[in-house]
Amino acid sequence: MENPYVPFLMKIEEIITETEDETIKTFVLAFAREEDKERFAYLPGQFAEISVFGKGEAPFGMASTPTLPERLEFSVSKIGVVTGALHNMEKGDTVGVRGPLGNGYCLEAFKGRNLVLIGGGFGFSTLRSLTNYILHERNRKAYGDLTVIYGARKPGLLLYRRDLDAWGQRTDLRLHLTVDQEEDGWQGHVGLVPNVVRSVAPGPENAIAVVCGPPAMMKFTLPVLGDLGFSDENILLSLEKRMKCGIGKCGRCNVGSKYVCSDGPVFSQSELVHL
Amino acid sequence: MSRLTREIREAARTLLRDKQAQVVIGFEEGSLPLRSRPCFIRKAEDVDRLVWNSFSEINLARYLTKRKEKVALVTKGCDSRALVELIKENQVSRDQVIVIGVPCEGMIDRARVEAEVGHKTIVEVKETENRLALKGRAFEKVLDRREFLYERCKTCDHRNPVLYDMLVGQLLEEKGQDAFSDVEAFNALDREKRWAYLTEEAGKCIRCYACRNACPLCYCPECFVDTSQPQWVGKSTGLSDTLVFHLVRAFHLAGRCVACGACEQACPMGVDIRKLNRKLLKDVKALFNYEAGVSLEEANPLATFSADDPEQFMVNP
Amino acid sequence: MIRENARILRKERLERFLEDLLQDHLVLAPRRKGELLLLDRIESPRDVVLEDGKTKNSAKYALFPQRERIFAYRAEEGKVELHVSPPAEEKQILFGVRPCDARGLLLLDTVFGGDCGDPYYVDKRARTLVVSMACVNPGPSCFCLSLGGGPCSTDGSDLVLLDLGDCYVVEAASVKGRAFLQDRSFEDAGAEALARAGKIRKEAESSMNPAAIGEALEKRLEQPVDDLLWGDLAESCLGCGVCTYLCPTCHCFDICDEAAAATGERIRIWDSCQFPLFTQEASGFNPRPSGKERFRQRIMHKFSYLPRGRNMAGCVGCGRCVAECPVNLDVREVLEKLSQAEAQ
Repeated sequence: MENPYVPFLMKIEEIITETEDETIKTFVLAFAREEDKERFAYLPGQFAEISVFGKGEAPFGMASTPTLPERLEFSVSKIGVVTGALHNMEKGDTVGVRGPLGNGYCLEAFKGRNLVLIGGGFGFSTLRSLTNYILHERNRKAYGDLTVIYGARKPGLLLYRRDLDAWGQRTDLRLHLTVDQEEDGWQGHVGLVPNVVRSVAPGPENAIAVVCGPPAMMKFTLPVLGDLGFSDENILLSLEKRMKCGIGKCGRCNVGSKYVCSDGPVFSQSELVHL
Repeated sequence: MSRLTREIREAARTLLRDKQAQVVIGFEEGSLPLRSRPCFIRKAEDVDRLVWNSFSEINLARYLTKRKEKVALVTKGCDSRALVELIKENQVSRDQVIVIGVPCEGMIDRARVEAEVGHKTIVEVKETENRLALKGRAFEKVLDRREFLYERCKTCDHRNPVLYDMLVGQLLEEKGQDAFSDVEAFNALDREKRWAYLTEEAGKCIRCYACRNACPLCYCPECFVDTSQPQWVGKSTGLSDTLVFHLVRAFHLAGRCVACGACEQACPMGVDIRKLNRKLLKDVKALFNYEAGVSLEEANPLATFSADDPEQFMVNP
Repeated sequence: MIRENARILRKERLERFLEDLLQDHLVLAPRRKGELLLLDRIESPRDVVLEDGKTKNSAKYALFPQRERIFAYRAEEGKVELHVSPPAEEKQILFGVRPCDARGLLLLDTVFGGDCGDPYYVDKRARTLVVSMACVNPGPSCFCLSLGGGPCSTDGSDLVLLDLGDCYVVEAASVKGRAFLQDRSFEDAGAEALARAGKIRKEAESSMNPAAIGEALEKRLEQPVDDLLWGDLAESCLGCGVCTYLCPTCHCFDICDEAAAATGERIRIWDSCQFPLFTQEASGFNPRPSGKERFRQRIMHKFSYLPRGRNMAGCVGCGRCVAECPVNLDVREVLEKLSQAEAQ
């Protein structure tokens, strides 16, 4: 039988330092064996456990989009043992990747709907994956209006600058970037994400909101969406919890009767209210 | 009901009624034969839960750290010594605890009683004076409790609490100096035997940390076992990791451990944890002429520096 | 209900029976090691100890070991090689385990099996025959009957033995068990033996005290319980891992790497929701910061979340947590108080 504990081996092709304080880097990985690529069919919103052999594993959301299957991308914030070790690695080093794990965003349910993607700081990873997926020429027509609201504390802490610039040029999405603190040269909004959501005021008709960010941001964004008329089933959140096995067995991420790794990490607000 | 039980209840009732203490920490009857367990009494009408018998094990001083309430503690000798160390280490202030001192005639080693009846299921136990009446489904047996005490209770030289605000019962005669004969006997064995014994004991350990969590002096907010940066010791039951855990914990307790045996009582696998602690206790006594938990005035030599500390190890390598 | 196809194994033939098993199986049975009764490998029938009471460790130890290697690795000069050991082939028999432990395996089966199965567990399980020994003399800490099991329950077992005094009644409880009986010649159990077995079972069951577990408890736990009550219930708890490690159904684990320069192993080891680090996040935030929250998690997971999520309670009523807890924290008393707690 398939062994869900054994990772694929992947080589680091590129390391992109995303933030000015260098705490967040994006790792671009290629499969060591071509045939493994087929076995890693994933959806935006899923995650994988990255191994640094000798240090351990840690979970990271998929930052790349499945429409570009050659490479997988993960953004890593340097905090602990595994992330610290990852940050010390170089191009050409080998890591393990176990996945895809989790439920991902329900793309079928999104079809024909307007999508409002709201992200804060580091939580924007999987929303970047989702945005690029939707924007792909094969997919764009299947979905309605796309509004992306993304904020960070300062301009230098925004991730995926290249993507943000490219998206800014497009007409098939509305991009709203915001920072907490203004800086010279900043052209976008200034203010906390929940406030920007309130002022952008996306319409709730036929819309689904997807929220992913730090707990404080999520906590204050939810009532704003409620005020704007979004119902609980149409607000999706991606939860983060301490995870280990990623397959609903080790018990670490258990919340109520659910396991964040296998029943989630994407949950609707109505599901969460009952947990 | 024994006299001690009655007097403890009286003391608790008065302290709670007069609001001198907000909680009385003592023992109540357990839910199984041969068990008593810690209880926390906050209302005068609940004091009849308190009991004193030969199953009142576990060191209650363990429940004092990080507690904000004014506590009345039902305190036997070993509990009082742990309390002395906690006060010296500024974990508890002396005026936060009203010590209800209880002279202790020793606690019963459950495992030996169970072995004595051939591990048949015991359904009921009645203790009166020194008589222990056991009943099972198809047997009855009477034992003399004095023959089934823990080894450490048999050789205890601090049966009376070393400090108290009130005393129940009557002070007992102390039996005299600890000769560390158990440590000497072990040290006399040859190296292979000692190593074999220690590795066999470590092999039983399931890393449940009951020993650490039952110990009144293990109160670190983050134990060295749980540190990941750097990771000092592995978490698995590999022999080397388990030995390191026990050795390092013993060293962390050197000069502070009062050998109360809560660690051994808590251990579900019967690991002889106290062996290492006893050795260090003996060494601390020999090197520094210090015994933990006896005097509030005597500073812990391993935690104090004075300008005239001997320095031969530095000067004469 | 003891079925008609029950057999008899005379006590004087037990040794021979075990010797046969040892020929081509790894046999684990209760044996005495010092003062402890442990479920462990036996080399000879004389190692087996069949007496009242439970082994200190539960049957999960045989299928879900405390330390299990996931793979070994070598990582040097940019190259990484992983080596997963091939599954062992030896068949194993758990002999003399109690019905509570056997029932516990049913929960572990749902956790470790399924679509994304755990090959380490599933493989061992497939190679294991469970031969339980019914409890003729349940102890004061036992409450299996209140969890849908019982001292003579056959759930989770392949075969169940019940001691009549001079012989054992042997009952097959699964396809594997029936096949096993057919391969070996046993006497049929006559009506008289079955009647005696039925009587012993009734006596064993009626000697047990009921615990406050059932639909009423589940319903109550769907509503919030006052935080202060949790604090009171958990006050004496030491926060160690004894209850979780000895429990036949607890299965939380950690995965970590043990490295020595270029080589190492990734291992799976038991972990406990009672340890503070279990849910501690890298940022330092802990959603279960104190013993009270962790105590609540254990009770709720076993008696509310698992019944809701997997249709099975996370408890078989073996009573090890009651008897082995260093402070005799009795889960039955906790559940009783929770059942009676006023709705918020």
